[in-house]
Amino acid sequence: MQGFIKTLFGDRRTFLIAAINIVIVFALMKTPAASLAGIILPLGVFCGAIYLAKH
Amino acid sequence: MIGTVVTIFLTATVEWVEAFTILLAVALSIGWPRALAAGLAALATLAVLTSIGSIALGHIGNLRLLQFLVGFFLILFGMRWLGKAIARGGGLKKLHDETAEFESLMGRAEIHETRAAFMIAFNGVLLEGLEVWLIVVALGVQTQHTLAAGAAALVSLLVVLGAGFAIHRPLATVPENTIKFTVGCGILAFGTFWTLQALGYHWPLGDTALLALFGCNIAAGLGVMQLYKLQII
Repeated sequence: MQGFIKTLFGDRRTFLIAAINIVIVFALMKTPAASLAGIILPLGVFCGAIYLAKH
Repeated sequence: MIGTVVTIFLTATVEWVEAFTILLAVALSIGWPRALAAGLAALATLAVLTSIGSIALGHIGNLRLLQFLVGFFLILFGMRWLGKAIARGGGLKKLHDETAEFESLMGRAEIHETRAAFMIAFNGVLLEGLEVWLIVVALGVQTQHTLAAGAAALVSLLVVLGAGFAIHRPLATVPENTIKFTVGCGILAFGTFWTLQALGYHWPLGDTALLALFGCNIAAGLGVMQLYKLQII
């Protein structure tokens, strides 16, 4: 069961990084700068992957 | 659809190679019939899980919610794979070595006890297969090509088993990290594309944006790995 949950959601850090990125983009989509979301989310999750690589 | 099938085939290949190492170690200890029975039991469990997952996701009436959920899970998966591949490719972590993994398994005392070895094979194939399951269900349901997705995973299994039986050794020469890096970049591209689309974002290039995202991930990932190798960051 633990393996199943870890496969779906990853560890706590991975989940938090993805969730924070999505919350930021969700908020951004409600502003006039919504068009930046197409840069912010890919950049954010890529930086998240780099963070996970280092830690 | 070709992108989906290739992604699933590559993801499954990495996982099945790791599962084969476990199966081989168990087979050399308790024999092929029992090891294969454990592997088949795990595959049957995965097949049931795939059906349940596909039906459950297929019943979500709200297509944007479905797209968001699939995108979110793919982001989680892609970040993990890309992070691991960058760490290994950049020299921060040792490369995954199937031969070392095999020797470590053979050194475990419980692998020589029938029931424990059966469970090692069952759990090993199941855990490696769960990532295949996630990708097959997520990409299959979202692109409405669940059958093709399942077939890609199955063909990959047959290829790995065929190669494994032919050389009767762990498949240590498969470039696992290169595949993991490429798949990580692809899955992350799918994940970000669908998540933003579900949130109402209109990609300026349409579906071509997927290729652009994939290309950017590859280029940036290779750059970061090089910086790690040169110890600049």
